[in-house]
Amino acid sequence: MRRLLCAMLALIAFAIVAVSGRAAHADDGETPSALFTKGVQALRDGRASDAIAAFESLADRGTVDPVASYDRGLAYAMRVRIGAEVSGDLGRAAHGFEEARDLTHDARLADAAARALTVVRSEVARRRTRAGEPVEVDAGRSLARTVSSLLAEDSWCVLAAVCSAILAIGLFVRWIALTRRLRVGGGVAAGLAAPVLLLAVLMALAARHDRLEVREAVVVTPGSRPSDQRGIVVPGSTPLPEGARVEVVDSRDTRARIRFGALDAWVPESALREIARWP
Amino acid sequence: MSPRPRTLLVVVAAALMALAWSVAARAQGTPQMQLQMDADTVGVGDVVHVQLGAQSSDAAPSDPRLTLPAGLAVRGQSTSPTQTHMNINGVQSDRYGLTVDWTVQTQRVGVFTIGPASITVGGARFAVRGATLHVVPAGQAPQRPAPAQPPPGSPFTFSPFDPWKGLLQGFGQNFPQPPDLQPPQSTQPLTTDPKLSLDAPRAAYYFLHATVDKTSAVVGEQVTFSVYEYIDLGAQTAIEVDDSDVHDATAADFVKHPLLREDQDALLAGYASIGGRTWLVKLVRRWALFPLHAGDLAIGPMSVMLARPRAAVGQRTTEALTVHVTEPPVAGRPPGYALGDVGHFSLTAQVNPRDVDQGGAVGVHVELSGTGNVPSTISTPAREGIEWLAPEVHEQLGGIGHENFGGKRTFDYVVRVRRSGDVSLGELSLPFWDPDAKRYDVARASLGVLHVKPVASAPAASADAPEETLPGLPPPVDTMEGEPARRAHLDDVPLFWLLGVVAWPVAFGLAVGATAAGRRVTQAWRTRSASPAAELKERLAAADAASEGSDARQVDAAVARALEAAAMAHAGVNVRGALGGEVAERLARAGVAQDAASRIADLLRECEMARFSPEGADVASARDRWIRARGAIRELERRA
Repeated sequence: MRRLLCAMLALIAFAIVAVSGRAAHADDGETPSALFTKGVQALRDGRASDAIAAFESLADRGTVDPVASYDRGLAYAMRVRIGAEVSGDLGRAAHGFEEARDLTHDARLADAAARALTVVRSEVARRRTRAGEPVEVDAGRSLARTVSSLLAEDSWCVLAAVCSAILAIGLFVRWIALTRRLRVGGGVAAGLAAPVLLLAVLMALAARHDRLEVREAVVVTPGSRPSDQRGIVVPGSTPLPEGARVEVVDSRDTRARIRFGALDAWVPESALREIARWP
Repeated sequence: MSPRPRTLLVVVAAALMALAWSVAARAQGTPQMQLQMDADTVGVGDVVHVQLGAQSSDAAPSDPRLTLPAGLAVRGQSTSPTQTHMNINGVQSDRYGLTVDWTVQTQRVGVFTIGPASITVGGARFAVRGATLHVVPAGQAPQRPAPAQPPPGSPFTFSPFDPWKGLLQGFGQNFPQPPDLQPPQSTQPLTTDPKLSLDAPRAAYYFLHATVDKTSAVVGEQVTFSVYEYIDLGAQTAIEVDDSDVHDATAADFVKHPLLREDQDALLAGYASIGGRTWLVKLVRRWALFPLHAGDLAIGPMSVMLARPRAAVGQRTTEALTVHVTEPPVAGRPPGYALGDVGHFSLTAQVNPRDVDQGGAVGVHVELSGTGNVPSTISTPAREGIEWLAPEVHEQLGGIGHENFGGKRTFDYVVRVRRSGDVSLGELSLPFWDPDAKRYDVARASLGVLHVKPVASAPAASADAPEETLPGLPPPVDTMEGEPARRAHLDDVPLFWLLGVVAWPVAFGLAVGATAAGRRVTQAWRTRSASPAAELKERLAAADAASEGSDARQVDAAVARALEAAAMAHAGVNVRGALGGEVAERLARAGVAQDAASRIADLLRECEMARFSPEGADVASARDRWIRARGAIRELERRA
């Protein structure tokens, strides 16, 4: 009887161990919030590498969050600040801040990310000055993209709808009005609404294209030289600035075609890190 | 228990353990061993080669030893380990071999027993009985038989992969080949290895064949690439490869590490039976390839030029291979994992000294060892107040047993400490993907705590401290923002474009268009309703209706109007108001046949007369006129 009891207890103990082992195995991966907390704690403790590892792991798992991107940028910047810099840290810091600025809906975070970005880009510019390279770090956006970003995408849409209505009503009034005054008024309204309607539709389409099609990345390696499609360095070109934001036009094999200001060239994909967007 | 039985118990336990060990050792199986000499009678000062061949299916034989009596001295030793792994119908069988060649020089006359020779297999040592050697005075030894000539057509001496062999033999040295490298003797049955077999020979006399140990791998996982040369042992002609025209395989998407030494001879892999012929198979290349990125990565062919026989001159190439490479899974990926860190690794670290002044430095010696793509860098635990200077790196990497690449890398860091007190250096960790266990693992080495004595003039505290890098960074944020509520953009909805933007101008356009269309329809209706054809239709209907009635005058009037309308519709002639023969004349001018024109004119006249006759006409004759008028109208219509 006693032996039987012992055997049963042993069996139960074995089952508990097996189940807990399986549970532990299943729980090998930390949750995103746990990883984030770990990263922030490491950041506050001055453990830059641990913070980077935690935030990178978070990014590897597909977690997109402006604060995580911002703190990741800070972790890389901290590693530079404490003298343990690894090549590419400034670029990765800039990437984190750019991503945070793009993703966030919090004006304060956007402001903090912009300030941090300025600090990092200033350091990059300082280093490029020392190396005798052009200081330009941010080539800015094209005119169309700048104009389209003046208003939110939906605002362009609403403007287009309003202008469409004004155009139609103006034309109608001009058509059916009996008095000259009304006809002139209708004509003026339609004449003003038509170009604004065209602009609003174009800008709405541009903003939509920007949202759905355009891929942007940040240069995360220092000394990445632009080359042509065959991989031959563009004669007379200077290395792309670390931390520069570029538009990715195409990618083949391990190379990506980018636009940076007037420059249209190819660089290794490993030199870039794409800016995440909300799914 | 008294001391004696206790002692007895210990002795029995020891005996049982020894027995168990012995049984375990025996259970591994006795290796097959053979000791041979290239001569049994030699002169003083001559050299004799003693060769030990050992084969085991349990573990690789190692630690060969040869016992020699006084009067003989070992002048050199060479060992050739071999491995054969076969999987036939899912049954794995492994074979490990070791061939040891001792060069022994005789020093005095006598009869000597060479051996026994022994090797270790799986911790147990096995020996083979020795052989007898007769040493006679110099010059009195019998002539040694000439070394076995290679069989006709054998390219042993022509292999591009062991070019020095022919040169060494040319010096007249009597270097016997290991048994497995000797051409097969007619008296010995040749064992072919099914693993080396192919469906058909890739070319006559000589060809190359390339394999990889796996066709799918993760980024950084070792893929073992092997190239074998197959030589037809039955060829009745000399086979010669142009050793100046050898092109290695290309593997641009891989990091390549040779697993065979560059100066190493091609290894005998075995014999294969292909297409009813026996082929000698040699391993000429073995590389550990580490994929650099995901995708279907190509390994280009290797090629050599066969120079002889003339009938078969041409290039011999290996197959082009492809390896499907993916990234290790994201699920369960530990923080800090770097893509490409794949294998089995361990980390050890030593910190010296542990007590240091503030601003001083300590040395950290880190050893990273294992098999696989041993990382070239380690992420150091960067912390505020602790500066890790660039390490001095030493490496001992290479092939491990012709199968795996690995070894160790040591990193010697100088770490400067700017803080004081008990400073934790943290922990070194290297997450890696274990391809065998198919899971992530982390190699760790704790660095412990430093005891740092504060110094007033420490660099961190001094005014000469370097300018701060990246000043003015904002503080971190503690709470994640989270994904915003997803909402559809207006322009993603087709209805917005239809109703919001397009509908207004379209509505206006429709209004304008509808008005214009209405006008056109009205106009068309009016035009159509006033046409001769419409009028004729109307008149015909009226005549039909009138003929049903009893008023003969009304019938005649309707018939006359129908005829006039028919003349207008079908001949384009207005005969209304025409007098006498004028009707027929007008119709004839319009191309109506004379008789038809006359008939119409007559009918009109009859109707006129009947209508205005004082006595009036009867209905029957009026109806008859209507029947004739319809015939005339049909005739006009046919003409039209």
